[in-house]
Formats: sequence, structure tokens, C-alpha cells
Amino acid sequence: MSTTPSSRNTMKDRGIVVFGAAFVLRLLLTCLFPALPDLLTGRVEVSTPVNSFKRLQEGLFLYTRNVSPYDGGVYHQAPLLLPLFALLPDAKSSPLPTAIFYFLVDLLNAYALLKISQSGQSVKSRLHTAVRQHVRWDGVSVAAWFLFNPFTIATCLARSTSVFTTSGILFAVSNAVGGNSVNAMLALGFASYLSLYPTLLFIPLVLLCYDIRAQGPNPPKIGLYVVQHAGLLLASIAGLLGLSCLITGNFWEFISATYGFHLLVPDLTPNVGLWWYFFIEMFDSFREFFLGVFWLHLASYVGGFTVRFQRQPLFVITSLLGVFAVFKPYPSISDASLFFAMLPLYRHLFPLMRYTFFAVSAILYSSLLGPAFYHLWVYAGSGNANFFYAITLVWSLGISILLADAVFAALRDEWEQQNPDQKGAEVRQV
Amino acid sequence: MTTFSLYSLPLVALILSLWSSIVIASPDYHENLQLHPLPQSSLLASFNFRSNTSQESFDQQHFRYLPRALGQILQHASTKELHLRFTTGRWDAESWGSRPWNGSKEGGTGVELWAWIDAPNDDEAFAKWITLTQSLSGLFCASLNFVDSTRTTRPVVSFEPFGDHSEVDQLHLLHGTLPGEVVCTENLTPFLKLLPCKGKAGISSLFDGHKLFDAAWQSMSVDIQPVCSPDGDCVVQIEQTVDMVLDIDRSKRSRSNPIPRPVPNDQLVCDTSKPYHSDDTCYPLEKTNDKAWSLTEVFGRTINGICPLAEVEGSGEQSVCLHVPHERGVFITEGAEEIKKDDGFTRCFNLASSGSFDLSIPKQLVNLEVPLDEPVLHAERTIVGNGQERGGMRIMFGNPSNISAVDFIYFETLPWFLRPYIHTLHATITGRDGISRELPASEIVKETYYRPAIDRERGTQLELSLSVPAASTVTLTYDFEKAILRYTEYPPDANRGFNVAPAVIRIVDNVHHAPIYLRSTSLLLQLPVPDFSMPYNVIILTSTVIALAFGTIFNILVRRVVSLDQASALGATTLKGRILSKVVAIRDRFRGKATKVE
Repeated sequence: MSTTPSSRNTMKDRGIVVFGAAFVLRLLLTCLFPALPDLLTGRVEVSTPVNSFKRLQEGLFLYTRNVSPYDGGVYHQAPLLLPLFALLPDAKSSPLPTAIFYFLVDLLNAYALLKISQSGQSVKSRLHTAVRQHVRWDGVSVAAWFLFNPFTIATCLARSTSVFTTSGILFAVSNAVGGNSVNAMLALGFASYLSLYPTLLFIPLVLLCYDIRAQGPNPPKIGLYVVQHAGLLLASIAGLLGLSCLITGNFWEFISATYGFHLLVPDLTPNVGLWWYFFIEMFDSFREFFLGVFWLHLASYVGGFTVRFQRQPLFVITSLLGVFAVFKPYPSISDASLFFAMLPLYRHLFPLMRYTFFAVSAILYSSLLGPAFYHLWVYAGSGNANFFYAITLVWSLGISILLADAVFAALRDEWEQQNPDQKGAEVRQV
Repeated sequence: MTTFSLYSLPLVALILSLWSSIVIASPDYHENLQLHPLPQSSLLASFNFRSNTSQESFDQQHFRYLPRALGQILQHASTKELHLRFTTGRWDAESWGSRPWNGSKEGGTGVELWAWIDAPNDDEAFAKWITLTQSLSGLFCASLNFVDSTRTTRPVVSFEPFGDHSEVDQLHLLHGTLPGEVVCTENLTPFLKLLPCKGKAGISSLFDGHKLFDAAWQSMSVDIQPVCSPDGDCVVQIEQTVDMVLDIDRSKRSRSNPIPRPVPNDQLVCDTSKPYHSDDTCYPLEKTNDKAWSLTEVFGRTINGICPLAEVEGSGEQSVCLHVPHERGVFITEGAEEIKKDDGFTRCFNLASSGSFDLSIPKQLVNLEVPLDEPVLHAERTIVGNGQERGGMRIMFGNPSNISAVDFIYFETLPWFLRPYIHTLHATITGRDGISRELPASEIVKETYYRPAIDRERGTQLELSLSVPAASTVTLTYDFEKAILRYTEYPPDANRGFNVAPAVIRIVDNVHHAPIYLRSTSLLLQLPVPDFSMPYNVIILTSTVIALAFGTIFNILVRRVVSLDQASALGATTLKGRILSKVVAIRDRFRGKATKVE
């Protein structure tokens, strides 16, 4: 892209304004409503057992008193978070340093997003160029879309540790599009270490890295490239696990309390996902079977997307993030906010989408009614668990429709690229 | 069989001779009843039954006073010391003063069991503990078999063995509670069967399930422990107690007409000094202690002589004692002998060895009251907060003393589905002036022993060593979260809530040396509940949403995008298109034939 120095300067100014405004908005919300962070921390839509800040504080309390936080049912987050937060001042007595730390992480995430957008990989990759490649938002707008998304703000104020997984994923992608495949693997290793499921992003990410690498001189063989990077990812995860082992001292205890917890879903605290109520109501003898089915279902999308969109690995990552936001065991709105952050990179697909109104209405409807129905169930007692369950169904349906629509639009875009004369024609799938 | 009896005969003979010599030396069974009229027209009756068996005869399975059923269970489970409690109701310390036996013979609401088990390691101790609870469950008709790993704790500082144990034993203390257990007649019957006179004679003949479990507070206990004299002779002591606080008015109600009815207007005792007192407005006066009552009226029975095994003659020990001022008149059955003690409030009775014994107290206005011991500490525990998602625990400790601080150990076990956040533990101290101030928990809590719960495996165990300054009230609070369970884990009455075991407080009294125990009331915890009628619907609906997403996405992924023209063109060449065209052709042929026939 050719940008004149003056336009680059205005871009930079806009960037500063957006980032500054996002920071000030968060600061104002924290200072004007001091109860807001704790309120959000307690919301089931924001905090799940694997990212709750309150549980982190409990783990930290035990950790600083030399009690193993994993020898209990409360703390299920990665061990490396403990020494990190032990450095920060106590969030109860002085909440501001922790809050500002989270704001900065959010800004860093937005910066990574800005880099991804500026690389232009979403519209023009090695093997694919979007037909409507000029219909797009610039990086600052994409970052603003992320920073001013109420879901992102709520996640940030609630100090959910999913923010770090988000950073890991976004930095992995931004390093990948920047051609720094080693850092990309390290960042993905960090994200996988924190929440396990980002491992599934490995194949599209390594394809993305390979796309960038193949544009340069002497592209290596793809098989060898993938194996090398898989080794790198495993090494980074092993390194982080080794460090954790040094911290906790008991390898199996923390493995079963963190990854075992992710895999076996023993805590059925309500969240916006589909797993909790299903496994509350599931008959005991079928529990393991359906756990397997649900995980297999989640993993099945990786193959499907990767095969069909081999020419657009970044789109595979985006749509997988959408899948995770719905189908992972402990989803929260932070996962949805990550999907919504990646979606504006595909501004050029929006004209091709067919059910945006329906999907957006469903998402808005459920995000407004969700808290109300939860209140009716848990506090007012005038509703029962089915109220909130029904809303999580609508929420999941809304996001999956949006996702399916984006997938359709991307396929149609590919088709239009192959048949330039048919642009705008009515299509069917056979 | 023959060989066995041949071999064992001399042994039995030996033991019999040994045993009879012991019996002659000192009859090892004592029973005792203490009657304390309490304020608010209540009556505390404390029954105590104690017997000793020498360690040798216990080891040789030779039981006399110690019930064989219980003794064999103890031996099988390698239990060296056992404490079992059945309690219902609440001891009203505000009006009744300090607890009987300093609280050492009572348990929390429901059933409480703790035992010292001899085992080489924790796992074996737990296996033996399970054996013990299963066996006791059968013996006492209680749900003790539900004391599983989630309800078992290993207190560190809250309990100490009462007995004298040998150094070689590797003792493990295990503690379990069933706060939801309803103690009733089916627990009393096996309890009575353990007594040598089995409720047929002696003070145990007063027990009537209707009255006992109608009490405002009652506690039954079984304690078994080895007791050694300084010269090394050890005995296994079993002590059974029953304490109950009966409401005299309520107990005097006849059994044939048990329904409480309002007191007629002219019999109401009103405070006439109130300005609003009139014919139709009454401020009831506090119940006075001058009520007339008798054993027959209160217990529905008389004492049926004395238990022949209990030693009475010549020892100066009386089995029934009453604590009322000496000036109050007491009528007793003829043949019994009254002995007034020097303290001015106690009189004991030597009962005739046969024939029934009754005592009755006429209505009499007495100015002198039996002084009540002030409790050393008031403790109260409540759940605060609303909603089924989270809540808080509030524990209040009041020190009534104006001079000295009180040191104690606070012990609580929480079920795993109540997840405490111990980092939110806060302390507030309130003085007599009513001004409260926050202070860091570390100033009040000297030591903490905390073992967090693991889902479906074990409960939370919290032991705090605290000190409450003189004339002040300390309030501890912490937040907790309520877990939502799988629908099969809820009891049938899920909306009633779950019982949380009472907290145990052990007051370390340096003066009296013996610890004082307090127990809070048990709590009811409301959990969020799913809809129990919906498993199929939920499975179907969730699966539908997943199938919708999966189906839509993969449907889009596996199909080709084509324009409308291509689609119709393609239609002719695909398998489906070809089949369709064949079908059309066949249909046409049929129609053609049909027209021909016509």
C-alpha cells in the first residue's frame, strides 16, 4: 500500500487518539464506578472457573502462604500467573496498579491487531486476493473496533485472565503475518500453555507463517517447515511447563488441576457456552462419551476449515476463534470479543453476508436478556435454570450463524476471484 | 468346635475368676442423674453412665459392661478412642448459661463422630474409618455410612484424646459429621441396649422417646477411651451420657391431649405495670421457676429402682441429684433417702433398691435462685447474602468477660460445593460502646490451618486459632461461592437446601485445664438448582444447536459455489439430476400408457 507521509502522520495521530481514548475510558470507568470491576468479576458471562480473577486472587493468597493452590478446587489457572501477580500490589487494597496492567495488556492486544490489519494479509495473501480488497477498514479502525467493544471493556475491567490468552493468540498471528515465525510459535505456545485450546490453531498458523515465508527467496519444503515449527511449539510449551514445575513443585498436581480441568469439565458453573447445562443434565453413564464427542466436535472444525481455506490461513484462524467462542468448554464473552475483533479484518466480506441482521439481532438480544434471565433464576427466583440456558442457546446460535455466514461469504469471494465476470451474480451451492 | 472349647475352657475359667475378683474389688459401673431446673421453666436432665473394663479382658474379647457389639467393632477397626454424638435442638446459652459437661459431651446438630484409629498410614486409617462408620451405622441405626471422604476431616488442633494412649500406637484422628441427620427413637433404642440395665431399671428407666426427642435440646453421647492409672493398669472406659432440656409446661401436657392450646385469658400472667395493659392487651411475664413438677409429669415415668450393677451401698454415692435451693420443698417416694449437700443448692437421693421412685416439687415462691455459670464465649455463625450464586459466612464471637481475653480454636468443615474465598477473610471488632472497626484478620487470628476442598473428593477444613479481647465482639466474614451440581447429585428435596455442619469451638482454658467446647448451630445452604424434569429436553436442544452449527458450516464447506445458470446446467449432469430425469421419463411413460388405455 502506498501511503503518503502526511496520511501516515494522520494515521499515527488517530492511533494515539484511539489508544488514549480507550485507556482513559477504562480508567474513568474504574475510578468513577469503583464497584464495577468487582461486579463484573462476579458475572458468570465474564468470569468462568478458568479465567476468574477472584479465583486467581485465592490462588495467589494460597501461593504466597506456601499452600499449593492446586491442592484445592478453586484455582485452575496456569502456575506462571502466580509469580506474575505476586509482583503486583494487592488488588483488594490498591486496585489501580492491577487495573492499569490489564489496560496496558488490552492496548497491546489492540496494537497486535493493528499490525495484523496493516499487513493486509486478510485481503491479499500469497494465493488469494479478495475481489473487494479496497473495501476495508484501516488498522486504527480495527483496533478501535476491538478497544471500544463493550465485551472487551467488560473483560478488561473484570481482570479476566483470558486477556493473556488473547494476547498470546493475537501476538502469534501478528508475528506470523510479520514473517517472524519463531516468535509466532512462542506466542502460540504461551497461549496454549494458558488455556490449552489455542493449540488447535497450530496448523493454520504454521500455514500462515509458510505463506509469508514462501513469498521470500528459497522457500523450504512445507513438510519440513511444519515439523520444525511443531517442534518449536512443543519446545516452548515444554519450557513453560518446566518453569511451572519449578514454581509448583508438583507436576501432576498442577497438570490435572489445570489441563485436566479443561478437558474433563468437572465444574459446571453457568457460563455462556453449551457445555455446563448439558453436563448437569447428562446421565452419569454417558458423561465420558459426550465429553469425547464435544471435544471431537470442537477439533473437527480445524480440519474442515484448513482444507477448504488453505489459501487463506488467516481466515481459518478467524473462523476457528468463532468456533471456540461457542463450543469450548468454558467460554466467556472474552472469546466472543476476540472473534469480533478479528472479524473487521474481513470488512470486504460484509457485503456478501446474507444473515447479518438476524445474527446481530440474536447476539444483541441474548446479551441483553442473558443477565436479566440469570437474575430471574438466581436472585429473583421467579425463573428457573432453563431461562438462562435458553439464552445461552440463542447466543451460541447467533454467533454460529454469523460464523457460517462469514464462511459462506469467504467462499463466495474465492469463487468471484476465480470467475471475475460473475461478480455480484446470484449463486447457489451444489 | 470341640477342640476349640477344650482349649478355651481353662482360659474362660481363668478369666472368669479374674473378672469376678475385679467385680468384688470395685464394681465398675456407675450411673448418675443430675436435675437442674433452668430459667424459662426448663429442666436440664443429665444422665451419665460409666463403666470400666480392664484392658486385658477387652483384648481377650471378654466383655461385661462394655457391650460386645461395640467392643468388637472397635477391635475390628483398630479404634483406640471413640466419640459419638447425637444432638438435636439448640442450647440457649443466653438464658441457660454455660453448657453441661463444659460442652465436652455434646455434638453438633445431627450426628458427629470422631475417633483415634491406630494405623500405619493415612490410607489404612481411612479404610478402617470407613469400616468403623459402616459398622456403627448398623449398630446405631444412623446414616453414618454416608460419612465418606467429603465429610471426613483430620482436625489438627481442635481435638485432643481424652484417654491415655500408649506411645507405640500410630494414632490418626478422623472426624465426620452428618448435620442433616434427624436423631430419633431408632437411635435411642440401640443406645439403651448398650447399657447394662438396658433401660429396665435404674435411671435409664426414665427414657421415653416421646419425651426425649420432644426436648428443646438433647444430646446423646458415647465415649470410649483407655484410661490408665499411674501404676500402669489400664482400663477401657465407656461413658454414655444423655443431656436434655425439657420445657416443663410442654412436658406436662398429657399425652392423650398433646395439642398446644392458647392459655385462657384469665390464666395469662401479664405485666400489669405496662401502660397499655388492659383486658385485651397483655405483655406476658417471663416464665418463673416456681412451677410445680414431678418426674412422672415431666418424663412420663418413674425411676424403676436402681440398676443392681451400679454400686450404691456404702460408697456415699447417690445416683439422683437435684439442684434447687434447700428452702424449696421436695417430696420423694417413701424408702428413699434425701441427702442435702453443703453448697445449699444440691440434694441427692439414695434410692430404694426396688420399687419406683418419684420426686415432686410443689409450686413455691423462692427468692433464691441457683446461680448459673456464665459462658466463657458466645459464638454464632450465619450465612449472609442473597441469591443462589454466592454468599458470605459471618461468625460472631462475643467475650462476656470484662477482664481477660479468651483464646480458642475455631474449627469448621464445609462441604465441597461451598467454595470459600479465604483471601476475603476479614475481622471486625466491636467494643461495649458499640463502635466497630475493621482490623486485619491477622491481628485476631494467630494461626490458620486451611485445607481447601477438592470437588467431589473432600470438604474444606478450616482451623483458626483466635483470641478475642475482653469485653468485645469479633466478627469474622468471608465470601463463598456455591457450586452447581450434576442433577443426580441433588437430593430429592433439592430446594430445601444443604446442611452445613456446625462449627466446633475449643476454648483453651488454662485455669481448669480441661477444654471447653462450644458448637454453633448447623446452617442451611441454598444451591442453584437445574430443572430436574429436563434432561431429555436439554440433551435434545443442545444437540440441535450443535447440529445446526455443524451442519450449516460443513454444508457450506463441502459444497461448491456456482451461479444460478451453472446450477441448473449442473443439475442435468449430476447423479441426482440423472435420477430425476429417469423418474420423469418413467412417469411420462406411465401417463402415456394410461392415456392409451383410456
